[in-house]
Amino acid sequence: MYNEQEILSTIEMVKNEHLDVRAVTLGISLFDCVSDDLAVFKKNIRAKILRNAAELVQVCDFVGEKYGIAVVNKRISLSPIGLVGAPFSAPQMVEIAHTLNDVAKAVNIDFMGGFSALVEKGIAPGDRALMDALPQALAQTQRLCASVNVATTRSGINMDAVYEMSRVIKKSAALTADDDGLGCAKMCVFCNIPQDMPFMAGAYLGVGVGDAVINVGVSGPGVVKKAIERALEKSPGLRLGQIAEIIKNTACKVTRVGELIGREVAETLNIRFGVVDLSLAPTPTVGDSIGEIFQALGLTSIGVPGSTAALAMLNDAVKKGGAFASSHVGGLSGAFIPVTEDLNIAEAAANGYLSIEKLEAMTCVCSVGLDMVPVPGDITEETLAGIIADEMAIGMINNKTTATRIIPVPGKKAGEKVYFGGLLGESQIMDVPHAELRDTFVKQGGRIPAPIHSMKN
Amino acid sequence: MEKLIITVLGKDRPGIIAKVSAGLYALDCNLQNVNQMILQNEFSGFFIVEPPETLNMETLQQRLDRDLSGEGLQIYIDQMSPLDTKQVSGVSETFLITTIGPDQKGLVARFTKIIADHGVNVTNLTAVFKGGNDPNANIMVYEIAVTHTTDQTHLFEALRAKASTLGLDISIQHKNIFETINKI
Repeated sequence: MYNEQEILSTIEMVKNEHLDVRAVTLGISLFDCVSDDLAVFKKNIRAKILRNAAELVQVCDFVGEKYGIAVVNKRISLSPIGLVGAPFSAPQMVEIAHTLNDVAKAVNIDFMGGFSALVEKGIAPGDRALMDALPQALAQTQRLCASVNVATTRSGINMDAVYEMSRVIKKSAALTADDDGLGCAKMCVFCNIPQDMPFMAGAYLGVGVGDAVINVGVSGPGVVKKAIERALEKSPGLRLGQIAEIIKNTACKVTRVGELIGREVAETLNIRFGVVDLSLAPTPTVGDSIGEIFQALGLTSIGVPGSTAALAMLNDAVKKGGAFASSHVGGLSGAFIPVTEDLNIAEAAANGYLSIEKLEAMTCVCSVGLDMVPVPGDITEETLAGIIADEMAIGMINNKTTATRIIPVPGKKAGEKVYFGGLLGESQIMDVPHAELRDTFVKQGGRIPAPIHSMKN
Repeated sequence: MEKLIITVLGKDRPGIIAKVSAGLYALDCNLQNVNQMILQNEFSGFFIVEPPETLNMETLQQRLDRDLSGEGLQIYIDQMSPLDTKQVSGVSETFLITTIGPDQKGLVARFTKIIADHGVNVTNLTAVFKGGNDPNANIMVYEIAVTHTTDQTHLFEALRAKASTLGLDISIQHKNIFETINKI
């Protein structure tokens, strides 16, 4: 027996507040597929993915239907191709990318992650080949996602890799110029990349994570926003501690939904359940926005003074509520602030409330980094590398994950419009001040040493 | 003697359960299950009791009629029968069907017919017709027990189609989602 209020509030969350499971991601290890013969390797990875993922979409849809909660995206994350494909050259890596893209289509998932390299301390031949292949691989495929980890708190920042990735990003943008540099939207540069993240573009399956695992990414910014609005309507004088408590309770409910769906999908597929990623992930839909939460909290817009504090409170409350709700929490677990993917954040940038510097400040207290930030196409490799290095430094020093997904939009300037469509959204191109050619810092190369607090042993 | 089920119906007031249970106690009956519900101002109560071997149903009926006389209550006593084959037994999963929308006559009849035609048992039904212009004020929640023999897809499609022709918003969800969200 459930009371009327319990039933109606649940239905309200699903129907009007956009509660859904953002991603069920099946991680598949490819280490048992390795071969130095490209044809054999491609055959092996194709067979293994098909064997594990043939029913993924069907099962997710069935479980989603059973509970009336949509599983919006079904995805696959793989062992880093830079490792399992270490013997291959860059052109061969592009061939592997095509194979993965074809398999993704065959099992009907929307994105496949793991075209990745881990280069925080050095670039091995396989990693080099993968990085060289990235621009072409991303331009010629639709469903493949890539990530390169260039820094960790324990290892410091590999500045050679940072600089190299800025060149890769520029090339990627150039090769997908007709689509406003779409290739760059499928590629993240990371510090402290999580091994079990279900969200794209950064999802890959860590080396010590096992053979196959189901990880789930929840959503629910709309639910959090409505809960804050309802509470403030009822008691306008609520103190921030009380509001944090409301966010915590709401995050707990949202997480439990994710765990319920994830566990049932895993059980049905007879695959181990991994983690719930507690991230509040927005979409470009009104009412499904992180930016709107800032307005519910009494700020004119995300980006105005007070935003970093509000985000810190939001992110922490989400973690506390989620940690209580789930026995295994992982991935990024926090709030996302992607510019093009969140209508309200895109508007804040267009209206001048949100600058790239403020975004960077906010990434100190949230889960990701400079995510889906379109910048002018003529940005120099040095400036781009500088932005990436800054973001990596925040992650390295604060012992947290940070990432960049920056899109230099070919032929367009700050203030012009960029449109990617679907979940990737649209926005105006953000201004990058002080973008001068004279900065030589990143050209020094080498590594920024690991910080003192990396020495924990 | 078999277990008895006693049904008490009538206008709600203080003391109904007290009087029924006092009468049962006086006749040495063991009360096993009780459930009561008040719809608007009408009381309905169900008492399952284990009577002593020597007690017959007439004595019990007379005693309760006497104790509750003048209260305008209807009291029915029946022997409990064992499960028959038409009843739902075995493993089932509970789904909640919630319809929200404008009130109209025959809603429950139409939906329960579809459910019955699929051989599915309604285990709980709450219909809240509040009337007025707010369509959301009229809400019906059916809890149904779906078994492995149920053609679930066909049942849910039929319910959705019916809701659509009646202009109702329908949600069909496994009970665990309500459990997950509301009960920690």
